[in-house]
Amino acid sequence: MLRLGKYWPAPSAGGAQMPAERRGRLARWVALATVVSLSIIFVLSTGTQFLMPGPLTGAHASIESCSSCHAASGSGKLSWLKGLAKREPHADSKACLTCHTMPNTAFNAHGATDDVLRRSTERLTKTAAALSSPITARAQNFAFPTHDMVAGGLQCATCHQEHQGSAFDPKLVANEQCRSCHIVKFDSFDKGHPVFETYPFRRRTRLIYDHAAHFGKHFPEVAKKDSTKTIPATCATCHDNNAEKRVMGLASFDKTCRTCHLDQITGKERASGPKGVPFLALPGVDVASLKSKNAAIGEWPQDSDAALTPFMKVMIGRTPQGQAVLDAVDRLNLQDLTSASEAEIKAVANLVWEIKTLFNALVSGQASEIFAGLNFASGREAASNIVADLTASLPRDVLVSAQRTWLPNLTKEMAGADARERQRSDLDPVTSSFVRLAHAETQIRSDADPLRVFLERRSGSIQLAEGDSHGEDTIKRRILPSGTPRAIRGETIDGESQPRSLTKGTGRSVIPSLDDPITLPDAAGATDAGGGAPPSNTDPADQSDELLKPTETELKEIKAREKGAPPAPSGGRPAIATPSPGGAAPPPGQGQNSAAEATLPTSDTPDAAPEDGDVDAEEWAQAGGWYRQDYAIYYRPTGHKDRFIASWLQLTGPSAPRDDKGPASSVFNFLTGKDAQGSCAKCHSVDDVPGKGRVVNFAPATVQSKAGQFTRFMHEPHFGLMGDRGCLGCHALEKGRSPLKSYEQGDPRLFVSNFGNIKKDACQSCHASGVARQDCSLCHVYHVNGSATAIMKTKIPTP
Amino acid sequence: MRGAARSATNALTGGRNGLPEWLFTGKTAGTLLLAVICSVLFWTVSLYASALRDPRYLDGWVLAGGMVAQLLFHVALRKRSGTPKSFRRWRAFHIMVGYVLIGAFLSHSDFSLPDTTLEWSLSMGFVLVTLSGLFGTYLSWSVKAKHGISDGISFERIAARREEIAREVQDAAMHASQPPEDHRLPPLPYDSWIADLYANHLMAFLEGPGQFTAHLFGSQRRLKRVTGEIDMLMRYVDAEGQKKLAAIRELVVEKDRLDYARVYLGLTKGWLYVHLPVTYGLVVLTVLHGIVVYAFSSGAW
Repeated sequence: MLRLGKYWPAPSAGGAQMPAERRGRLARWVALATVVSLSIIFVLSTGTQFLMPGPLTGAHASIESCSSCHAASGSGKLSWLKGLAKREPHADSKACLTCHTMPNTAFNAHGATDDVLRRSTERLTKTAAALSSPITARAQNFAFPTHDMVAGGLQCATCHQEHQGSAFDPKLVANEQCRSCHIVKFDSFDKGHPVFETYPFRRRTRLIYDHAAHFGKHFPEVAKKDSTKTIPATCATCHDNNAEKRVMGLASFDKTCRTCHLDQITGKERASGPKGVPFLALPGVDVASLKSKNAAIGEWPQDSDAALTPFMKVMIGRTPQGQAVLDAVDRLNLQDLTSASEAEIKAVANLVWEIKTLFNALVSGQASEIFAGLNFASGREAASNIVADLTASLPRDVLVSAQRTWLPNLTKEMAGADARERQRSDLDPVTSSFVRLAHAETQIRSDADPLRVFLERRSGSIQLAEGDSHGEDTIKRRILPSGTPRAIRGETIDGESQPRSLTKGTGRSVIPSLDDPITLPDAAGATDAGGGAPPSNTDPADQSDELLKPTETELKEIKAREKGAPPAPSGGRPAIATPSPGGAAPPPGQGQNSAAEATLPTSDTPDAAPEDGDVDAEEWAQAGGWYRQDYAIYYRPTGHKDRFIASWLQLTGPSAPRDDKGPASSVFNFLTGKDAQGSCAKCHSVDDVPGKGRVVNFAPATVQSKAGQFTRFMHEPHFGLMGDRGCLGCHALEKGRSPLKSYEQGDPRLFVSNFGNIKKDACQSCHASGVARQDCSLCHVYHVNGSATAIMKTKIPTP
Repeated sequence: MRGAARSATNALTGGRNGLPEWLFTGKTAGTLLLAVICSVLFWTVSLYASALRDPRYLDGWVLAGGMVAQLLFHVALRKRSGTPKSFRRWRAFHIMVGYVLIGAFLSHSDFSLPDTTLEWSLSMGFVLVTLSGLFGTYLSWSVKAKHGISDGISFERIAARREEIAREVQDAAMHASQPPEDHRLPPLPYDSWIADLYANHLMAFLEGPGQFTAHLFGSQRRLKRVTGEIDMLMRYVDAEGQKKLAAIRELVVEKDRLDYARVYLGLTKGWLYVHLPVTYGLVVLTVLHGIVVYAFSSGAW
C-alpha cells in the first residue's frame, strides 16, 4: 500500500475510517444534494426560466416563452429535451423571421440571391488574387473553414447571439467574422482593403444632366442672356440630403430646372412642328385613287395631310382585325395610291372604316370602353384613374365637334356599314353594338332628333313593318350607360323602343347594302361626285337610298336655315365642310354632354365650321390641354409632370422593346423621340429592361433604389468636414468626358459619368486606426434587402 | 537567501550558455508553458469565433475535457496504484491542468460575471474548486519552502509531543543548579533569572497550540521574540545556565515546528473537504449545463 508520507497519516490500527473515505462520502452527499436542490428549484420556477443562460436584450425583453424563439423547446417543463434530437437547422431562424421579415433569400449570405453572390465572388476572386491574406485569416481559414457553413445556409444565431444582457447589442459583428466568409481578406480598412474601382456609381443617372456642360456653358449663357433667370449657385441648390440621409436627393423641378426648361416642355420654345401631341387625326388618303378603283370608303376629306397617329394605331390595333389592317397598310404611302394593288386598296378602305369605327365609338360611347382594354402589360382592364390620365379627360364635345366637321355623316355611314359589320365577326362588341343601334335609327336617317322621329311616325311617313325583322339585325339589347342619347338607345320620347326593321311605306328595307358605296349629297341635295362611285345596282339619278335623300320636311328646314344662315362654302363643295381651326371647346351656351340634348349631324349639310375668327387653336391652348387643328386633335402638355404623356409612356413602355415595331413601340418612340412634345426623354433617361420593354426614369434615385446594395454611405455626417472644396472634395468633376453619349443606348450600366470615382484615400484620410471608425459595418450592409417588422394583424374588436 | 542571491547573480551575469539561470528552473519552465498554453487557447478561441462559430462551445469543451482529466487524478488516487514518482507527476499535471482550466473558464465566461441562478451555481462551483485547489497548491509550496515537516511528525502526535516539550522546558527552567564550591562571594541568581524568563515568556508560548495565522503566512516573529529573549539572557548567565538555556531554546524551536506542522497538516486535511465535494457538485452542474446548452442550441458550433 502506498504511503503518502507526510500528507496523510498512516492508517490507524484501530480500523477508524480514513479521511479519504469520509471525504468521498461527503462528496457523494454533496452531489446528491446538488441534484435534489436543482430539481426543486427547477420545479418551483416558472416555466424553464431557471435554465436561461442570461437576460435577453431590451428589444426582446417582452418575450416570456422560450418556445417563441427556440422552436423545439415546446411549452412543457421537460419538453425542451426534444431539442437534443436532430432537428431542422433553420427552425429557430424561421422563428426570428416571424417578426423580422425578410425576403426568401434570408438564409443566404447577405440575404442576396445566388446569382448576385456568384457574380460578386467571380469579380472578387480576381481582386483576391492580387492581394495577400493576413496570417490570422489564413490560419482561421485552415483551421475552421466557413465555406460549408455558408453553403448550407446561415442561421440568424450564427451572428446574432442572445442572452447576453439587456444592454447587449446583438447586431454587433466583428470584422473578423465578416472576413471569414469573404474571399478578399484583410485586417482593416487602412490595412489591406482593396482600392475602390467604380464606387459610387453603378449606373448612369436617371436624369440626363451634363454637369460640366451646364457649369461651363449653359449657366453662363443664360446668365448673360437674361440676368433675371435664377442660376444655381451651389451644389446644394439642386442637391440636398433628404430624410433618409442616404441619398442626396434632387430638389423639385420647380426649384431647379423650371427657369430654363419649362418652355421647352410646354412647347413655347418649339420652333417647328405642332406644339401639341397629335392624338386623333383623319389621315390623308389618296381619295381620288380610291374612288377611281371603286373603293367604298364613304365620306373622307380630300385635303387632309395628317398622318395616322401612333395613338390611333394603338386603339385600332387593340383587336386582331385592326392590327391586321394596320399591318397591311404599314408600308403604303396613303396619300399616293396610284400604283396600289387591289389588295392594298382594299386594305386602305378597311383602314378608313376602322378609323370611322373608332371615331364613332369614341363619339357614341365612353372613352373608358376604348381605353380600358389598352393595358398591354397586365392584360387586365385599366382602372378609371388610368383611363382618365390616358385621355387627359378629353371632352366629348371636342370629338363631336371634330366628327361633325370631318365626318358629318359618320353615324349614318356606320349604320349603313352594319351589314358589312355582320360579315366581320371580330368587331369589338362596343363598336358592333353601337353599329346595330345606329342601324335601328335608319328610318330616321340617324340625324333627326327624337322629336322629329316622333312627329314623323305620327304623321305616318314611316310605317312600321310588323313582324318584319332581319334575322341578323336582331339587336341584342344591352343596357347602355346613362347619358347615352335616346336616339342611340332607340327610344322615342314616349319611351317606346324603335322597331328593328323599318320600311318606309315602300315595303322595301331602307337599310342600304354595305356593298353599295355611300354617296354624299351636296348642300343642295345633289349627290357628291367625290363621295364615291354610284352604287352598282342603282341609278345614281334615281337614288332610292332613303338614308341620304332628305324628306320634304327636311328640305324645307334646310332651306329655311339657309335663308338665315351664311352662304354655303363656295364651289358647291361636297358635303364635307372645310374644317376650320378651333373647336377645342364648344362655344358657351351649348350643352356639354347632355344626353337629351345631343343632336346628330344632318345628313345633307355638314355642320358649318365653328366661327373661330383669327384664333389660333394651338396658341389658345398654350397653357395645355386639347385643341383641334386641321384634321387632327392635339394635346398640348400642361407643363412638367404632365400626366397624359407620362401615363402613355408608362402604359406602352413595358411592351415597347427597343427596335420593336408594334403599336405600343410606336407610341413610346413617338413620345420619347428627339423632338417629341413634352420633351420628357430630353431629361428623363430611358432604360432597356430585359424582357420588359423600356422604362422612362421619371423618379430620381431613392433609398428604395439602393435596396440590394452592399454599401451604405450617409452624406450628412460628412458635411462639416469638407472645407472649401465641398462636394468636389470627393466628387471630382472630370473634364473632357461625354456623359450624354451614355444615353444613346439603353443599358444604364454602360455609362460615363461627369464625376470621377471616389478614391479610397479620401476616405482613409479619416477612417484609419486611431482616428475614426473603420469597422466593416460602418460602410457595409449585411442584410442588403433590409429587414422590417411587420405590423400586427389586430382583429377589429367586436362589440 | 543564498539561493536567491545566486539566482540574481546568474541573472545579471548570465547563467548557462549566456542564458539566465532562472530560465532553466522547473518552476519557470512550468510558468512559461502555462502562459503558452493559455495564449494558444485564447487565440484558438478567437479564431473559432471569427469563423462564425460560437466560441463558448470550444472553450466549454476544453473545460469539460480538462475536468475529466482532473477527475482521472482523483480516480488514480482512490485506486492507490502507481509509484510515488508517478504520483508526483500526476499531481504536477493536475495542478498544471488546473491553471489552464482557469484560463478556459475566463474565456468561457467571457471575463464577465454570471447573470442567472444556474450560471452563478456553475461559476461558484468552479471558483470554489479552483480556490481550494490553489490553496492546496500553496500549502504544498509553503511546506516545501520551509523545508517541509519532519517525517516523524504526525497530526495525532502533535498534542502529546507539545505537552512533553512544555514539561521539559518547565523542568529545565525550574531546576536549581548546584552552587559553586568557592563560597567567597554569593552566586548570582541565574536560576531565578531563567525562572523569570520561563514565567514571563516561555510558559505562554508553550501553552497549547498557537500561531495559526503566523504560520499560515510564514511569520516567525513570535518565535524570534522568544528566542531573542533566551539569547539575550544567555549572555548574562554562567556556563551552566547557558547549557540550560540552550536546551530550552531547542525545545522552544521544536514547539514552534510542532505548531507549524499542526497548522499545515490540519489545513492539508481540511482543504480537501472543500475541494472534493464541491468538485462532485460541479460535475453534476456541468452535465446539466451541457444538456441544456445542446437542447437550446442555435447557430453554428
